[in-house]
Amino acid sequence: MKMMIGFEVHQQLATKRKMYCDCPTDYRDAPPNTNICPICAGLPGAKPLPPNEQAVDAAIEIALMLGCEIVVDRPIYIQRKHYDYPDLPSGYQRTSSPIAVGGELGGVRIREVHLEEDPGQYDPTSGLVDFNRSGVPLVEIVTEPDMRSPEEARRFLRQLVRVLEYSGKVRPEAGGAMRADTNISIEGGARVEVKNINSIKGAYRAIKFEVMRQKAKLDRGETVTRETRAYLESQRITMPMRAKELEEDYRYIPDPDIFPLIIDRARVERIRASMVEPPHLRERRLVEQYGIEPSTASVIVSERELADLFEAIAASVDPKLTASWFRTKLKKVLNYMKLRAAEVRFTPGQMVELLRMVKEGEVTPEQGELVLRELVKKPDGPRLIAQRLGLGRIESAELRAAIEQAIKTNQEAVRDYLAGKREALHFLAGKVMELTRGRADPREIIELLRAELEGGSNDGE
Amino acid sequence: MDEVTKEKLEAIRRGELSIVENVERALERIEKLNPKINAFIEVNPEARAQAEELERKLKKGERLGKLAGLTIGVKSNINVLGLRATCASKTLENYVATYDAEVIRRVKAADGIIIGMTNMDEFACGSSGETSAFGPTDNPAALGHIPGGSSSGSAAAIAAGMCDLCLGTDTGGSIRNPASHCGIVGLKPTYGLVPRQGLIDLAMSLDQIGPLSPDVYGAALLLEVIAGRNPNECVMLDVRGVELADELNVDIRGMRIGVSPKFEELTELGVMEVIDGAIEKLHDLGAEIVEVDLPHLEKGLPAYYLIMSVEFFSATRKFDGRKYGKRIEEVCGEEVLRRIIRGRYISRKEYRGKYYQRALQVRTLIRRELMSALERVDVIVGPTVPKLPHKLGTKLTPMEMYAYDYLTVPANLAGICGGVVKAGEVNGIPVGLQIQGKMLGEKAVLRVMRAFEASA
Ligand SMILES: [Zn+2]
Repeated sequence: MKMMIGFEVHQQLATKRKMYCDCPTDYRDAPPNTNICPICAGLPGAKPLPPNEQAVDAAIEIALMLGCEIVVDRPIYIQRKHYDYPDLPSGYQRTSSPIAVGGELGGVRIREVHLEEDPGQYDPTSGLVDFNRSGVPLVEIVTEPDMRSPEEARRFLRQLVRVLEYSGKVRPEAGGAMRADTNISIEGGARVEVKNINSIKGAYRAIKFEVMRQKAKLDRGETVTRETRAYLESQRITMPMRAKELEEDYRYIPDPDIFPLIIDRARVERIRASMVEPPHLRERRLVEQYGIEPSTASVIVSERELADLFEAIAASVDPKLTASWFRTKLKKVLNYMKLRAAEVRFTPGQMVELLRMVKEGEVTPEQGELVLRELVKKPDGPRLIAQRLGLGRIESAELRAAIEQAIKTNQEAVRDYLAGKREALHFLAGKVMELTRGRADPREIIELLRAELEGGSNDGE
Repeated sequence: MDEVTKEKLEAIRRGELSIVENVERALERIEKLNPKINAFIEVNPEARAQAEELERKLKKGERLGKLAGLTIGVKSNINVLGLRATCASKTLENYVATYDAEVIRRVKAADGIIIGMTNMDEFACGSSGETSAFGPTDNPAALGHIPGGSSSGSAAAIAAGMCDLCLGTDTGGSIRNPASHCGIVGLKPTYGLVPRQGLIDLAMSLDQIGPLSPDVYGAALLLEVIAGRNPNECVMLDVRGVELADELNVDIRGMRIGVSPKFEELTELGVMEVIDGAIEKLHDLGAEIVEVDLPHLEKGLPAYYLIMSVEFFSATRKFDGRKYGKRIEEVCGEEVLRRIIRGRYISRKEYRGKYYQRALQVRTLIRRELMSALERVDVIVGPTVPKLPHKLGTKLTPMEMYAYDYLTVPANLAGICGGVVKAGEVNGIPVGLQIQGKMLGEKAVLRVMRAFEASA
């Protein structure tokens, strides 16, 4: 079944001030309607301040990260989009004409990037409106309908969210998590728009539901008409929107109270020069530059701080070893402790030292992982941690003694092994590990055991 | 009325007139005349106390600001903290401003005393002063006639001597039209010269706040106080301020004054005779009269009504009944409703190209026409309103009403400045001479206005 899926994604920009006034954007702890002024509350006679330059810069940077071309040296109009809803203080929302066009992310074309302002928050149950959020800048990203399955759509959103997080220019935390509208059409039916999606999971469910609904209609010989629907998170279904909302004509006009924005080439180049490398490009570079596996690179770039840490460490120690440790060990420890890479407090130098200890055989990889766990919990010199934990390579005499002891006290397992049961060797190795309290390298134990048992049997004959 | 504002300021500075006395006189006059004229909607209860405060400052030898104790009436679409900004509409009947408009801050900083809020056409939609929800205003200079609009109360207050100066707003002639009908001085500044922060919109790309005054000096002085860039506002010219009042008395010998045959085409005979007389006088004062071509001038009117209606529709969306008590469409008068409906209709997606875009093209055309005429002359002089004010209560069709605006809307469309001084009378009814200048050409406009005033 052929289908086409596209998105309009909105996310709050992490500026200090609102888009057209001086109110702070951090309204989380403010009682309702206290983080407002005549401008963002839309009082009669209030006029907007010039657009927040920080927000414009942020939107430019995000657009560049998405490979877009910025609209340069041409007027970008701030438009009034009129609709009647309690959360709009002035009866219109301000939205820019495109500030950038023609990008690409993971095979999905980005059509346009816009700057918008957030409305207030309306609670239909109590009927109350809180304008604290009103006027917070938003970036809106519009894609072409290039996704072909709900899974592809989900993958794209994940990538997009990663780019936005990487940019450091959005605020996912402030109740302003990603908001998306999606459009879905399947072969033989019209395009259906679904609004009111608030998470990647929600988008995936809404699209899956829509595909099923539309397909069932077509299968019954009915037609799928062009319409706008709302996603109901609680019931995981989409519902048609009210007729009034369908007829809506926003009657866009350029806001006469705001000069059009004009972005010059120098500004774009200044932002480009200092912009964050987008994750999908970084992933490609890590593979080429460090010779690591694409799947490993993908894990490493999942968080910007993780990739930064990787590159800081890979500069001083074998990148392949570093990459494998990031993928198999560091990621595991962080997941287990529910930490983000941004919360890691050890220094790159400490991990470099640890990896060198492993490489030189000072500690086994298993011991190294114990050290790493401590390093994440409470950063310190890895050698000091290893000492504190009583770790370190065992003297060979002690290891030999342990092996002899294990063989002596587990004769049954020895017999099993000699009878051809190879698992018995692992049982014996486990016993040696116990006796040496984990200080010996399991690979070395196996080798020594095998030599001892096979050599020993020869001796006996 | 010659230099009454200048003389009063001098009397206050010399201590011959106390500020308290000045305010009391104004309040008495308002009390006596307002029941008949209906120029004020609300009087500032703090005015007397503010006068006493200024008086104390003066006695201590402190220097007062440029408006030192003058009484200022404010059109009811400008926010004055603590007073009602009703826009003369039931929609905002009980809306008390919670902040001062930028122009009010500047007036207060210059020691002007806000005496009260003046009557106006509802939301500035009208050219007669009759659409106010608080009742029509009478014309003190021609009792029983409309005072013009929409700054009807501000013009009438000056004509009746109820206060010293007034602030009005001009979107398509709303300062110049009532100034002409009431025989006083009014000035619409260049678009972007005066901050609009705190002005309740009629049409954002056309609105401009300006002075109404009994004399040219007063208009120049009040404009000096309110003009100049406001960093907290987007659409403004980057002009620090203007010095006007002290440079008025320069003669106009050698100035090039443009007149257009178009004016005669559009104007009633009686009015045109007075204007011709005035132009003759300017010639006698040494100005060179030059004919300029304004072939599309009358096309400005329909373009104006389209653009204004679209912007007004947008501006009134906030009066949705959720925040200010009443939904505008449910309580407003018929002219306001007509403009909202027209604006909603022509801003529809399918009609944009047909009406709004076309109107914007005409606007560009008019702007170019006026700009190129003003490259050849210093000012353009002609009538302000093409006909005399009708008698209060006469029923006019919307088109007849709009026809009052033919000669004033071009300046708003072009963003240029325009001033009005009384040119004479027809059967005892004042007729105002309109002097239009270049962008930021206020100095030249005021110079011609003052020369004409001084010769009277
Ligand atoms: Zn604000």
